[in-house]
Amino acid sequence: MTLYVVKRLVAIIITLFMIITLTFFLMHSIPGGPFTGDKNVPEAVAKALSEKYHLDDPLWKQYFDYLKSVAQFDLGPSFKYEGMTVNELIKAGLPVSAKVGLLSVALILIVGIPIGIFAALNQNKWPDTLVMLLATLGVTIPSFVIGTLLLYVFSLKLGWTPAYGVEQWQGYILPVLALSGFSLSFVSRLTRSSMIEVFQQDYMRTARGKGLRPSKIIIKHGLRNGLIPVVTIVGPLIAAMLTGSFVIEKIFALPGIGRHFVQSITNRDYTTIMGITIFYAVILVVIVFIVDLIYGLIDPRIKLNK
Amino acid sequence: MTEKTIENVVAKQQPSIDPTLWGKLPESEKDEKSLSHVSLTYWQDVWRRLRGNKGALFGLIIILALILFALVGPLLTNHTYDNQNLSTSNIPPRYDIYKVGEEYLYLHKNMKLYLTKSNGEIIRVLEKDKEDMIKKQLIYTVGNGTAIIDYSTKNTLVLTDENGKVFGEHKNVSNKTNLLGTDHLGRDLLTRIMYGARVSLLVAVVAALVNFLIGMMYGGIAGFFGGKVDNIMMRIVDIISIIPLTLYVILIMVVLNSGLLSIIIALGSVYWVDMARVVRGQMLSLKEEEFVYAAKTIGTKPLKIITTHLLPNAMGAIIVTLTMLIPSAIFMEAFMSFIGLGVTAPMASWGTLCNEALESIRSFSYQLFFPAIAICITMIAFNLIGDGLRDALDPKLRK
Repeated sequence: MTLYVVKRLVAIIITLFMIITLTFFLMHSIPGGPFTGDKNVPEAVAKALSEKYHLDDPLWKQYFDYLKSVAQFDLGPSFKYEGMTVNELIKAGLPVSAKVGLLSVALILIVGIPIGIFAALNQNKWPDTLVMLLATLGVTIPSFVIGTLLLYVFSLKLGWTPAYGVEQWQGYILPVLALSGFSLSFVSRLTRSSMIEVFQQDYMRTARGKGLRPSKIIIKHGLRNGLIPVVTIVGPLIAAMLTGSFVIEKIFALPGIGRHFVQSITNRDYTTIMGITIFYAVILVVIVFIVDLIYGLIDPRIKLNK
Repeated sequence: MTEKTIENVVAKQQPSIDPTLWGKLPESEKDEKSLSHVSLTYWQDVWRRLRGNKGALFGLIIILALILFALVGPLLTNHTYDNQNLSTSNIPPRYDIYKVGEEYLYLHKNMKLYLTKSNGEIIRVLEKDKEDMIKKQLIYTVGNGTAIIDYSTKNTLVLTDENGKVFGEHKNVSNKTNLLGTDHLGRDLLTRIMYGARVSLLVAVVAALVNFLIGMMYGGIAGFFGGKVDNIMMRIVDIISIIPLTLYVILIMVVLNSGLLSIIIALGSVYWVDMARVVRGQMLSLKEEEFVYAAKTIGTKPLKIITTHLLPNAMGAIIVTLTMLIPSAIFMEAFMSFIGLGVTAPMASWGTLCNEALESIRSFSYQLFFPAIAICITMIAFNLIGDGLRDALDPKLRK
């Protein structure tokens, strides 16, 4: 186990190093500096700016400086938001993004899994068909379409929720729904198919034969086995939600990291793009690692140290 | 056993049956063909199963219709995707017209008054005679009468005559010149959706090609050679796949600047990873089969073994993966365009259309609905085909 953890940690560090290197050189391969787009910056100002951000240093030196500062969790200054560092941008956006993200995860677990079980219990009856139809739609319709339609119906037509911002708690409802739409559908579909398979297993028949209560059969014998495939896709789901947050925060005008990211793309704010990409990479890599550890714990058949 | 003894046995077991009933049929009644049906090839079998799947057929029809829509559609309209006409901007697909004297008028939300024919076809936008700032009225001369736009009540426009009598709607008509209306620059929405379909289909084709060429070869080589080669190649894939593809595509798009070519390059450079994994998995099991050993024994070159012996046998899994990847590539393009990294203006893609419509969603929601519906239908159709093909190619997977 310890050996496995150490091995994985080394792999994580190598992965992150590769990602930092890749983003750094990608961003620096763009012709023109970050200030060339600005309208007629006087030469002296341009020079001072270059000097301030060490843009005149040779590329390898900039690269090692950047590596060093990233290792100290310093993602450098933003080129377009004056006087802001990327760290400050992330810190400003994190509470909103994290809240929307965590609420979505909660919704997926609390609603998605029971729906899947419910559909599996009613296999091929109308509730199952209905739920699976909705879930198929949820998987196929892109999040930005769901988001804009929700915004149109519930905020603009019915006026039940605010159209933008999160000053009131109601402001979270639609973004969370839109963000979790895909994953919710995916999880309920997966739970359903995996539970249906589990229900046909011999140990389930044994449990019924022993005369256990149905709730106990489902929860203790069914879920424990049926949820294993669901745990494996948590990593990709978190990734889907991270990228989903770009558009959701744009649609609902939430002051989160995703919107800063999209804005920095439009503004060509290279340090911010780099910084937020690396931030996302770290989060993802860590989450995937934790999920792998949990996976080993809940499924004793999986040997982590091979 | 002779015939005699069989007859005896039968007679003993079932004495009620008259033994004379048991006899040989004449040779002329022999009908071998009706018993042994024609054996189907693998692909004929797949097609037979696919045909039986209503969802997949439906999806197939939609995709064919979409291809027709994208390729032939733009030839049939007399609009272009970039022809701007600011005087007829934001005209919805259906609107009310009023009858004033002998003339027909259409009152637009942007406080414009259009002269229309009786069937609702817009002739031209009318110039106002004067504006009464105090009463908040715009005054127009129509034919030999007058029409007044009254905007004194907030958020509502009323069309009245000179005595303040409100005109009732004459009838609700559909837009004859622009079937789905126009966007904020007066461009025909239907034509733009057609061009958007072209972009989406092009992306689908490119994603399929990239997966076929790069993904299949990469996975094929890694799986066939195994050992160190496999280890190194798969670690590279692992590193690539930890970060969501969307982030790579965004980074590459930022570097290359937006545009259709950039989308294609961005998709092409990272989009083969899933396929590589699937093909490698197939290779690992297939390469232990006898026919591969046979090919090796007669000295066939590795590349030839991969392309002529291994890949065709892995085709089922490859096609299933492909049908899953194509809609996600279409989605990726729409996503990129939606956050402003897609095709460059004035070119239209469904993502940019949605993005542009988002700004005016309050007043002109129809601009959002049509491209959104187009995306949804396409995604659902591709997914239906994907599910159908998966069931048809590998019935064991069916649940």
